[in-house]
Amino acid sequence: MNELVLTLGWLGIYAPMALGAAASAVGCSIAGMASIGAMTETDGGYGRFVGVSAFPSTMVIYGIVIMFTLNREVTPENAGGLFGIGILSGIALMYCGIWQGRACAAAINATKEKPEIFGLALAPAAIIEGFGVFAFVFALVISAGIS
Amino acid sequence: MSDPDAYIALISSLPGSERLFVAKQPPLSRLRLDRRLKALTSEDAKVLKVMEHALNWSAYDMDVTDAQAVLRCKQALAEIPQSSLRRLFLERMDLRTVVAALRLRGQGGNPPSGAYGFGRWSRHIPAYWGDPDFRLSTAMPWIKEARQLLEAEDPLGLERLLLSVSHKQLKRHAARHLFDFEAVAIYVLIWNIFDRWAQSNAQNAAARFEKLAQKAMSNVADFDFERVSA
Repeated sequence: MNELVLTLGWLGIYAPMALGAAASAVGCSIAGMASIGAMTETDGGYGRFVGVSAFPSTMVIYGIVIMFTLNREVTPENAGGLFGIGILSGIALMYCGIWQGRACAAAINATKEKPEIFGLALAPAAIIEGFGVFAFVFALVISAGIS
Repeated sequence: MSDPDAYIALISSLPGSERLFVAKQPPLSRLRLDRRLKALTSEDAKVLKVMEHALNWSAYDMDVTDAQAVLRCKQALAEIPQSSLRRLFLERMDLRTVVAALRLRGQGGNPPSGAYGFGRWSRHIPAYWGDPDFRLSTAMPWIKEARQLLEAEDPLGLERLLLSVSHKQLKRHAARHLFDFEAVAIYVLIWNIFDRWAQSNAQNAAARFEKLAQKAMSNVADFDFERVSA
């Protein structure tokens, strides 16, 4: 039984990193495809498209920081806490990354037609980033209570 | 339901459908559109072809009968798996059914019993044949204007009204689809409307040119060419 609990603890430590990486990969690929498509239709502003498509890459950074914060000796007493925080923050980051990629793709698709709405079109992606930051910050705050 | 991220690059590489109607020059030719549509999977390409084949009037022979047209649309509907596209297709069929009924009545026909259209209104319309709008003015607010244009023998005005109604229907469906196959199919159908719109403009221009030419030529008979050359 202890082995299973310890395994869950290790899973919790690595989950934010793994799920954050998956989120960034999927999100960046979704936004990246949109930027490639937009480049074939427009005559300039390519750098902006590529820059926007890199937005979801922050999720893996948050995941790495959470992983280092949770990284400690896993015992039967703290394994449950590590598992809960790690898995749930990882899932939150994963959803944020994928949907941020979709929001970025929509922004790129819209701004290729109307470059003047570039800033406003990024607002949904920025709001999603805020939710990712919530998951990140409160994972750090609550992990301080784990021995 | 289709993969919501299936055609991100394809959709992003197409000019916005709104731009099709405001640009002086067509922003996307059929040739270029077809080149972009090569990114579709073979299954999706087949569905799109079936839809276009059933919805584009240019795909019909001049001597096609109502029964043949209805059969083609029914067969096409059976080959469309996406629920949104099926709804969209049925809405277009409702529109065509109503217009067919208006035309039939305008020609002095009795309530049709055979295949003149299909969809949810095909039985309702013969039941309310005597009503000017077939009691559909709530469900289809454009029907009154369509009837008036038909009675005024203004085919171009009617064509534009129907294209406008179809365009609004497509835009309503497009709001729910961003980067999936449905979004691509709706874009192509809007492109077809734009194409018809552009052609109707060309026809309008040609008719006006002919009228002006006839008016100008009517004075030519009185013109003394020999005096001018002397």
